[in-house]
Amino acid sequence: MKKVIIIIAIFLVSIATHAQQEGIVSYTRTTYWTKLNSTLPYLSKQEKEKQAYMFGGRDDWKEYTLLYFNEKESRYTHSEEKSDESEGYAWRKEEYNIRRNFEKNTMNDAMEMLGKVYIVEDSLPTPNWKILNDIKDVAGHICMKAMIQDTVKKQKIIAWFAQDIPINAGPERLYGLPGLILELDINDGAVIIEATKIENKKLTTEFDLPKKQKGKKINDLAFQDMLRKFIQEKIKEERNPYWTIRY
Amino acid sequence: MRKISVVLFICLFYAFSMMAQNPVRISIKGIVQDTSSGVLGGATVMLLQPKDSALVNFSRANDKGSFEFRNVKNANYILKISYVGYIPHQQLVSPSANEVLDLGNIGIKPITKELLEVVVKTARAPLTIKGDTIEYDARAFKVPQGSSVEDLLRRLPGMEVDAQGNIKAQGKDIKKVLVDGKTFFGDDPKAATKNLGAETISKVQVFNDKSEQAKLTGVDDGKKEKAINLELKDEFKKGSFGKITGAVGSSSRMALRGNYNRFNKKEQFSILGYGNNINETGVNWSDYGEFKGNNSFNNNDNGDFGFGGNRWWSGDNDVVTNNFDGRGFTNNGGGGVNYNFDNKKTKVSTSYFYNQTRLMLDQYQTKKTFLQDNSFTTTDTTNQNNFRGNHSIGSRFEQMVDSNNTVIAKVNLRFSTNNISTLQYQRNLSETNVLRTSSDIKNGSDVSSFNLTSNVIYRHKFKKKGRTFALSGGYNVNNSDGTENLSSTSTFLNAGTISQQVRALGQLNNNANRQNLLKGSALYLEPLSKRMYWESFYNVSTDNREVGRDAFNSKLENQRMDSLSTYYKNNITYNRLGTSMRYSHAGVNVTVGLAALRFDLDGKLFPRKDAQVASSISKNYNAVTPYIGADIELKSNTYLSFNYNLNIEAPQIADLQPVINNNNPFFLSTGNPDLNPEKSHSISSYFYKFDPATFMNINFWVDYNYFLSQVVYNQTVDPTTFITRTRPENLSGGERFNTGVYAGFPIVKTKLTVNFNSNINLSTNPTFINGVLNQNDTQGYTFRLGFSLTPSDKLIVSANGKLGFSTIKYTISEAQNQNIKNNSLDASVKWNFAKKTFLETNLDYTNYRNDRFNFNQDIPILNCSVRRLFLKENKLEVRLAAFDIFNKRQSIIQRGFQNTVTNQTALTLARYFMLSLTYNMKGHVDKLKKNQGWM
Repeated sequence: MKKVIIIIAIFLVSIATHAQQEGIVSYTRTTYWTKLNSTLPYLSKQEKEKQAYMFGGRDDWKEYTLLYFNEKESRYTHSEEKSDESEGYAWRKEEYNIRRNFEKNTMNDAMEMLGKVYIVEDSLPTPNWKILNDIKDVAGHICMKAMIQDTVKKQKIIAWFAQDIPINAGPERLYGLPGLILELDINDGAVIIEATKIENKKLTTEFDLPKKQKGKKINDLAFQDMLRKFIQEKIKEERNPYWTIRY
Repeated sequence: MRKISVVLFICLFYAFSMMAQNPVRISIKGIVQDTSSGVLGGATVMLLQPKDSALVNFSRANDKGSFEFRNVKNANYILKISYVGYIPHQQLVSPSANEVLDLGNIGIKPITKELLEVVVKTARAPLTIKGDTIEYDARAFKVPQGSSVEDLLRRLPGMEVDAQGNIKAQGKDIKKVLVDGKTFFGDDPKAATKNLGAETISKVQVFNDKSEQAKLTGVDDGKKEKAINLELKDEFKKGSFGKITGAVGSSSRMALRGNYNRFNKKEQFSILGYGNNINETGVNWSDYGEFKGNNSFNNNDNGDFGFGGNRWWSGDNDVVTNNFDGRGFTNNGGGGVNYNFDNKKTKVSTSYFYNQTRLMLDQYQTKKTFLQDNSFTTTDTTNQNNFRGNHSIGSRFEQMVDSNNTVIAKVNLRFSTNNISTLQYQRNLSETNVLRTSSDIKNGSDVSSFNLTSNVIYRHKFKKKGRTFALSGGYNVNNSDGTENLSSTSTFLNAGTISQQVRALGQLNNNANRQNLLKGSALYLEPLSKRMYWESFYNVSTDNREVGRDAFNSKLENQRMDSLSTYYKNNITYNRLGTSMRYSHAGVNVTVGLAALRFDLDGKLFPRKDAQVASSISKNYNAVTPYIGADIELKSNTYLSFNYNLNIEAPQIADLQPVINNNNPFFLSTGNPDLNPEKSHSISSYFYKFDPATFMNINFWVDYNYFLSQVVYNQTVDPTTFITRTRPENLSGGERFNTGVYAGFPIVKTKLTVNFNSNINLSTNPTFINGVLNQNDTQGYTFRLGFSLTPSDKLIVSANGKLGFSTIKYTISEAQNQNIKNNSLDASVKWNFAKKTFLETNLDYTNYRNDRFNFNQDIPILNCSVRRLFLKENKLEVRLAAFDIFNKRQSIIQRGFQNTVTNQTALTLARYFMLSLTYNMKGHVDKLKKNQGWM
């Protein structure tokens, strides 16, 4: 009898925790252009200072994104939400669907780059996170700080992951922390992605792949290689590569 | 062989014994408990590498608090446990001798309620330990407003401050206080802590500094002194930049310009000044942007809501920036100050600027006028001295009342003076080049004017997302007072009597013009669904103008000349109510709208001020104007837009005045009080495609205007004296068509790019000449091809070729059709030929041609300069420049309009040499820029 109760209790607990581990996170992704531009190596000190002087404080560009998650899978993509400044105008959003399967350890990332859709299919490598000491509150969850280096885009990325949501997913192409990533800070605030709402919800078809996925299939190494080449070329031409690719 | 087996044996033995001592892979397990021994199920347990905290593995404690890492490398780790409401726990784990390393019960400490509140409320970590530095986040420790840093330090755990202000950290005396890593006013640590406000500090860092002795000798004596570093909040971080240039040249050319900017995160202050006699009538756009700082992009909030026209900028940029048109010699001077404040919620900007220009112009113009069966030529030799000075005061205020309500208020004031004195010698020659009339004109004018533009905009966002309401009001004043002194002597060579042969004019005009414009606008935007938006707007304005002119005959004891005097009051009231629907989704934005508008024109003519009304006109005009607009963003960076608009514009006030303007005795113009608004269909379309991989881009545009009612200046020309009288009247049938293409693409990546552009302008301008309709058709074509070559980082070469030709046809006199050609070639080289030394040269070769006039002129302009950077951080630039080495520069303008063709040449600044020094506080760039701007 005691055993049965325990089993039932475990079952209930697992349902309870299961319900908590599925849902949608809404993020606001803000690009601070003067900070982003100031990471460009070809700009002189004066040019950087001048643009901060002229645009500082009103250089932010807001986008809205969603992360569908459960214990096994995640998908990160654009939200339909429009900013207040847009007055309702809707611009075209390029293809961006980052699919992760943590059970099978695979990625399927459909991304538009330089006018072409690429589908990066690969296994999930273990990211090289460093765990730091600080804690802070993001969207009602106490988060721990972690850091990772993106060697291709030369970015220092700070992630804040929730202690109480045991999901390995995160926004952009990041994952692999012991809790759900609720905030990202790329290169000292050039881009900040911050969770605004976490909704616990039963998901249905959100993770399904479209029947016909259009795009060029490529592995992650080849994709990173392409990125690296493009960034190097544009920097040499003294043009900002991040006008056309995602920072 | 034996030897090998021994080695092998030893190796194997060693390996076995190692394995026996320390297994290669182990399991690590334990139980997470809180300090009161309750198990903490669901705690996050992480294994980190000790050297860099890299995450190796993580797991979660089960509901009994136990965790286990299986099959992990047997090495040193940091075991980190985190659980909501508990201080993150860390412990070192050393390699284990057993296959299972049982860490037993691990107790973790709860975060005190107070501390947890700090974390949750401020969303910041209050305390961070990095090596031997302890960092306090100052914002998490509340002190009363106006407290000093000392008061703040008293609140920090582990810090003590005694009554004299001496500081101890962890029991040790603080010998040094740094601010942003720098010593603050000498060595007294109390200087900073007593004088700086607590609100300026973002972080307090306590660290061990090397002793002064160690720093001096370079030998670390192991003695450490406790020191504090106060990190300032960003908004209290100060910065400044600026540059100053002085230049002297041959033929007493000189220039001086400088700017200085100081800023912190909230405030910006700048000063700017210039003075020169090298035809720079103002500052360049880039310097002006620097001057205005973050207020540079606020010019378009003029509060005129709704679709179509009316979206003019009301900035003062036109006055302060260089607008030299290429003719004459100018002496220029100006300067101003600008202050901006921005704390996200409140934005305040104010500026003052004074600028002045004296223009000395010598110009020669030939104009040929075609009549139905005749033509004549007018030549003008003009000498003009023109002074203009402006005081401009601008201010702008923006307040975010709360997240849903914003108010913007703007006021711009300008006081201007303008003095012109003109000496003009005009001759009219018949078709056979016989001199018919000549005229000596000497005109002077002295005008001072006052200009005010002000407006207030209020915006409200409703709770429902996307629903907004906006209201605006504006008040503009334009007043000018001035005198005009007209005098001329005209000779009519084929007049009958001697008294008719010479006519002298002496006239003094006193002009006083007043304009008051009051306007208001309202806008309401309602989202009907996620994709459909409904917008409604209302515009109202009332424009009151008063035009007064008293003309006196200076040749007849200053008698008032009633026929040339006027006093006119005019009011135009404008009402427009419009609505539109918009579909917006996934890059497709299509708007269709309709507006009803009404002009009420009211004019009263008086013989003089304070007299009875002589005549009055009152009329109104109603119209319904449709609007279609589409902005479409397609796949692969393709963008398309289309606009259709029915434009209705009220007539210009000067065109409504039934009074003669006789500034030029051979060209008299009169207004027309019966004039109707101008009405035109306007269609424009734009296409843009960009390939981000190659940066290839194509732009294509088409604009077309068709006038249903156009204000044109009909002419009556006296066939013998060639005196021309013009009067504005409404006419339909005018057309304008403009199309162009621009494309740029690389031929060799990063090395060679090509750009091409082409423009076609077609226009039809009808006018009545002596009662006969003349249709003037103008066709203009330009083609330009350019190359930009960057063989290395040290050399940039570019070359452009341009062909331009236009044909002008006159239906009234087809034999006179004109062909005008302007072709040019332009090449430039920028060469960083030695360290910090640059050569810049460009050649601009232009040929102007009109065969009918036998006009063929080559203007080659060659400029060359060498500059070198000196001093630390390249702060000084010395430049030696030669302008227009061939001494050929002059201004040439060829144009055809209505029934005329004009050829104008003016002298301007030609060859000079100049030596300039520029000191830049932040240093000059010591390489060539490949692209302008921040792209």
